[in-house]
Amino acid sequence: MNDKLVTVLADVFGLRREQIVPQLTKDDVGNWDSLKQMDLVVSLEREFGVELEIADIITMTSVEKINRILKAKGVDLEA
Amino acid sequence: MKLDGAVSLITGGSKGLGLAIAHRLRAEGARVIVADIDNVALEALPDVFDRRSLDVTQPDEAKSTVEAIAAMYGRIDVLVNNAGVIYSEPLVNLMNPDGMMHSYDRFRQCLRVNLDSVFIMTSAVVEQMVLRRTKGVVINISSISARGNEGQTAYSAAKAAVNAMTVTWSKELGRLGIRCNAVAPGFVDTPSTRAALNETIIKHIEGLTPLRRLGRAEEIAQAVVAAIANDFLNGTILDVNGGVTI
Repeated sequence: MNDKLVTVLADVFGLRREQIVPQLTKDDVGNWDSLKQMDLVVSLEREFGVELEIADIITMTSVEKINRILKAKGVDLEA
Repeated sequence: MKLDGAVSLITGGSKGLGLAIAHRLRAEGARVIVADIDNVALEALPDVFDRRSLDVTQPDEAKSTVEAIAAMYGRIDVLVNNAGVIYSEPLVNLMNPDGMMHSYDRFRQCLRVNLDSVFIMTSAVVEQMVLRRTKGVVINISSISARGNEGQTAYSAAKAAVNAMTVTWSKELGRLGIRCNAVAPGFVDTPSTRAALNETIIKHIEGLTPLRRLGRAEEIAQAVVAAIANDFLNGTILDVNGGVTI
């Protein structure tokens, strides 16, 4: 897992870093609601220098999907 | 006002916070009439309460019920507008792409239950207070959400309007000896709070609260009784929230 992405997710959802795994979905996180989704979008755009489309934002309901969308935006998550 | 013998009508008083207020009023010696739309919960109440089935959003029904109560007891001294439903929905819901924006119907429904009901009941009861020259008290149950709470567009708007009506009525009715105050609870441990908020959010709220816990319904009831009893308290929004800010 990309260190910066783990930091963003842990900060936004108030989770411990070890809880951030690719299989994590919004159903596993009690406070992953629409307002947290907005916080997530702002944090991802700031940390990775990307601009997310509304279709991306709606799709981002798991760590695996966030990974996939960021990679499609050209973000190198292996770095 | 002395609560001993005071004829006190509480709406939504058959469970949760309303029931705690009803019990506290009764313990102070008031004659308590509980009005509620939930007939099953009403049936379960002890006989010490006068139980009335009532939909507080229906003006005609409210007026006839209040008239019947005033005729039976000779007056109504206290109205506690407690009936309402916590409702949470953000203006934009990114997690629901097929219905992303707050429904106008649900906005109106929330205002009907939490705001219109307060107007309807207060109108009906204050009419009787004026006709019978009763120096009564109206207590509106507001909420910390009146300050604007994210995720609660409609509920926050309704409670802010309730606060505004409270102050307005205190100014209009004070000259008749009728006082009006509101009690604005923070986050209280009731079944409706537990239904509206998940465990993670409740833990978060407890962490934000200087007293590090949710309020208890009895503590809100204690504030209601104090607001009724103090004859110089008028037009006040009494915050009972453990010091939390939102």
